[in-house]
This record gives sequence, structure tokens and C-alpha cells, in this order.
Amino acid sequence: MTDRTIAVDYVARVEGEGALAVRISGRAVEAVELNIFEPPRFFEAFLRGRDFAEAPDITARICGICPVAYQMSACHALERALGMRVDGPIRDLRRLLYCGEWIESHVLHIYLLHAPDFLGYPDALRLARDHPEAVKRGLRLKQVGNRLMELLGGRAIHPINVRIGGFYRVPSREELFAFRPQLEEALALAEATVRWVADFPFPDDEEEYDFVSLRHPDEYPMNEGEVVSSSGVRLPVDRYEEVFEERQVPYSTALHSVRRGGGAYLVGPLARFALNQDRLSPRARVLAREAGVLGPVRNPYRSIVVRAIEVVLAVEEALRLIDGYRPPDRPFAPPPPLPASAAGAAITEAPRGMLYHRYRLGAGGRIDEAKIVAPTSQNQGRIEEDVRHLVERSLDLDDAALGDRCEKAIRNHDPCISCATHFLRLDVSRRPGP
Amino acid sequence: MSGPAGPDGPDDRPLVVGIGNDLRRDDAVGRTVARRLAPRVGSAVRVVESDGEVGRLLDLWDGAKRVIVVDATRSGAPPGTVRRWAPGPEQPAPAPSSYGSTHGLSLAEAIGLADLLGRRPPGLELLGIEGADFGLGAELSPPVRRAAERVVRRLAAELGRPADRRS
Repeated sequence: MTDRTIAVDYVARVEGEGALAVRISGRAVEAVELNIFEPPRFFEAFLRGRDFAEAPDITARICGICPVAYQMSACHALERALGMRVDGPIRDLRRLLYCGEWIESHVLHIYLLHAPDFLGYPDALRLARDHPEAVKRGLRLKQVGNRLMELLGGRAIHPINVRIGGFYRVPSREELFAFRPQLEEALALAEATVRWVADFPFPDDEEEYDFVSLRHPDEYPMNEGEVVSSSGVRLPVDRYEEVFEERQVPYSTALHSVRRGGGAYLVGPLARFALNQDRLSPRARVLAREAGVLGPVRNPYRSIVVRAIEVVLAVEEALRLIDGYRPPDRPFAPPPPLPASAAGAAITEAPRGMLYHRYRLGAGGRIDEAKIVAPTSQNQGRIEEDVRHLVERSLDLDDAALGDRCEKAIRNHDPCISCATHFLRLDVSRRPGP
Repeated sequence: MSGPAGPDGPDDRPLVVGIGNDLRRDDAVGRTVARRLAPRVGSAVRVVESDGEVGRLLDLWDGAKRVIVVDATRSGAPPGTVRRWAPGPEQPAPAPSSYGSTHGLSLAEAIGLADLLGRRPPGLELLGIEGADFGLGAELSPPVRRAAERVVRRLAAELGRPADRRS
């Protein structure tokens, strides 16, 4: 009877810190446990007692890659609590800012983290050695997303220009128009990206996902919509917790989200794409057809193609929003007199999927309770299932090869393991079956 | 509404980039140095905080001649140890496993990419400050805080113009 534990330690090209343990007994996979350190828990405690107006800037610090998502979910939840409705040009500018974040986050993952997996390179550096033009294209495209965030957010990391009700300062029509040529260049680069990744060799895999995303009456969802799922859920965002719940798992400090009375589900690009295909922008639809991914994509490896299509969509949306922009009379809608108590929830679509915020306010606008459910915590259970299926199919591989495949299966879902100083640690332990 | 990245045109000023995560204690030391250095050197030096993300680092470096990147290190040296060097084949940037880094790709990979794509600034130096505690929290540990002060004084004396220092 021999027990083996192998630890594979190297940079895993996921954001931040995490660990995966796989336990195999004979030919049976006993356990797959993804353990992700999760900063939202810390922030929920940190927010209690703070002024409601601080929430967008405080929560933006949860993630360096998707600060806008945190700001948007916080603003919408708090505005709902205060009975505010933000519309018109301010709403458009928020969507424009979100486009910048989608471009930046997706392009980072496509070019520097995910593409090496398909082209046989251990990392972006080795990829760049053989494909410098591709990496240059990715860096330029990412830079345009970055600059769009700077244009509206004041700066790309932790934008400082967002506030409850709108912005501290809004751009002039001329400022936005001056950005158009960069977006036109980005559209060509984004289309080239779809064509590049569509030809990658993809492993055969089809997973039965319960896709969950927002759905809006006439837009591809970013800031607004109902919660819908491929299994027939349809509900307003403030009833999210009636259908989805977070559960403690013994091996992790993070909570795992599941359907109440059901199992794991998937949020993110695959879910949005499956549930909102009829909301794609014109070029994005053409590119999706060319890439052969019209219809739900259940092969998680092909998520790289869906991300690339969403980049095209975000660039097209940015152009459309700039063309229609008329500066608002004032940069923000002032909050109404504060009620003695209030509560509100919102979901927006972070690049990685639905981000839920709920706040309860007490006297003077003090935050009494905050709840934040990040996309990666919703996807953890489903990522474990992907890994389990992979391991079941790959038992004859040695530990190193198996570990490598597991990492790739995790990377398909671009997990944000943010706010961390480490990287993924992988343990595979095997023992003979009973 | 420009960001802190400075003007789009050529900018000959020295650039100091402080990298880190403000919520992981000593990992924030690079950003702390940047924040304290900026008011002391005025406009003579471009001082920028960064989360170290590779694409943004390369964008920051574009066009810069002299760049000093300040970041936390985790090498086993006594906390607060300050090291400064020009990364090259003999003394590369710290490998990710020994580095208090918050990013999917490491600083070493950023430099590698810059080299491959012809985007390494001619005068690139790293200034590492050895951290002790990379846990969750906002406070630097005492030896790291003292080292940050020393580094700020040294960089201000080295890079700041007297006129800017008075203003």
C-alpha cells in the first residue's frame, strides 16, 4: 500500500493564489478540492460601519483586474437601496467604462494566460518568442481597453472617477470622439483575435453546464438585467438569494455558491454567450458564425473563442456609445435625503461573470451589512466538476502530466484568485483502490 | 481627464514605479515608497503606483529612458534588506516563487517580454525591499516601514531637483 503526494509548484497563470487537491483511489476519483483564498469575505467585514458613498471605491480594491465591476455592482445596489434610477448619458458612460474593463481583462487572459495552453508553450514569454506579432497585437488591444478605462475612470487600476449617481467628472463629446481612431484600430485587432483563436486545436470535451447570467430586454448584459439560467430560472436580481446560496466547504475558507436544492452552476462568458446570443452586436455575430460557435458552447476550452467574440462586442459597443454621446447636464444624480434604513441588491456582469452586491444601510447612510458574491466563488464548484471529469478520463497519465491538464481545465474559466501573493499549488495524491 | 501615466509625448524624466498590493501588508512597500516619494521630488520625477500587471508595466515603460521599479522581495534575507540592481542574465529579476508579487505574470516575465519585443527601457533598475509579512492587512511591518523611509530619502536625494524639493 503506497500513498503518493506530488506537489507541482509553478506559476499557474491564474490571478493570484489558490490550491487544488486531487485524491485518487485506484481508478476512482475520491475528491477534487479547489481552495481559493477569497478577499470578499474580508471586505464584507471591512465595509460595516463605513459610509455608503465609500463602497464603490473600497470594493474596487478587491480586484486589480476588474475594479469597474465592483464599482458598478456597488453603485447599482446602493442606488437601488436609495430609490435612485440612473439613466441617459450617465448610464451609457457606465457601459462604456465596463467595455474598457471587458477588453482589458479578456485580452489579458486570451493572449498572456490562455493562448499558451493551446499552442504548446508553458507561458506567454515562450509564446512571444515564437509569435511576437500575436503578442504585440494582444498588448496593443489590451492597451486600448486600458486607455478607455483611464479616459472615463481617471486611471486604469482602481478608477477614482466613479461615484454613487454617476461620475465626478464626465468627458466632453470631443474627448470621447478623439478616442474613436484607437477603437477602430482595436476593432480590427479584435476581429483578428477571433480568427487567431478559432483555429487553435481544442481538446474534445462537452460539459453539461447550468449556465447563469443576466439578460436584458435589448442589450448584451453588462450593468442590468434579470437573472436567467439554461435550466429555466428567471427572476429579478433582488431575489437572487432565494434561488442561489453560498455554502461552507470544509477544505476552504471560501464559500461555494450552488442552486438551492441543486448543484453547481456556471457564470461568465460561456453563460452570457449561451443565454444572450440574440443580443450580440453585428460584427460579433458575424465573427461568431465564422468561428463556428453559434449556439451554446459547452466545450470549456473554447471559452477563449467566446472571450474573443466578447472583445469584438465590447469594442463595437464602445464605438456605438461614443457616437451617440451627449454630455449630461451634470455628472451625477445627487442622492436623495437618506432614509432611516434601506436595503438594495444588484448584479452586474464582471468579465468573469455575475457579481452580486447587497447592502443594508442604517441611520445616516452607514453600512450595517454588506454581502458580495464574486463570479469565481460561484464557479468554484463547477470548475471542480470539470477537473473531476478530466481526471476520470486521464487516470493513466503520470502526475506531472495530469497536474498540467488540471491547471488548463481551471484556466478555461479564468478564475480570479485575486488579492493574493502566491500562485496555484497543486497536489495530486494517489493510492491503490480497496 | 488624463490618468497618472503622464503626457503622451516623450517624457525624459526618470520614472519610478512602485509595485504592490495595498492589502497584503509588506507587499505594499513599493506603492508606499511611490506615495511618499512623489511629493518630495515634485515634477522632476514621474512617480507611478502599479499593481504590476504586465501590459500596464510595458505601457508605463514605453519611451522612458531611466526606470526604477520598487517592489517587495521575499528571498529569506532579513526584513527591510534593500537591494538594487540592473536585471540581466547574471542577476535576473526575482523568480515568482521568491517574490511577493500579486500578479498572474511576474516582474521577471514583464522584463522578459519587454526584451523580446524591444521595449526594455535602456536604464532599467530594480529596487527590492525584503518583506516579512505578506498576510492580509494594510500596515507595513516596522523594519519594512523603516526601509521604505530610507529608500524614499535616498531616491529623493538622487533624483529630485533642488527647486522642486523646495516647492
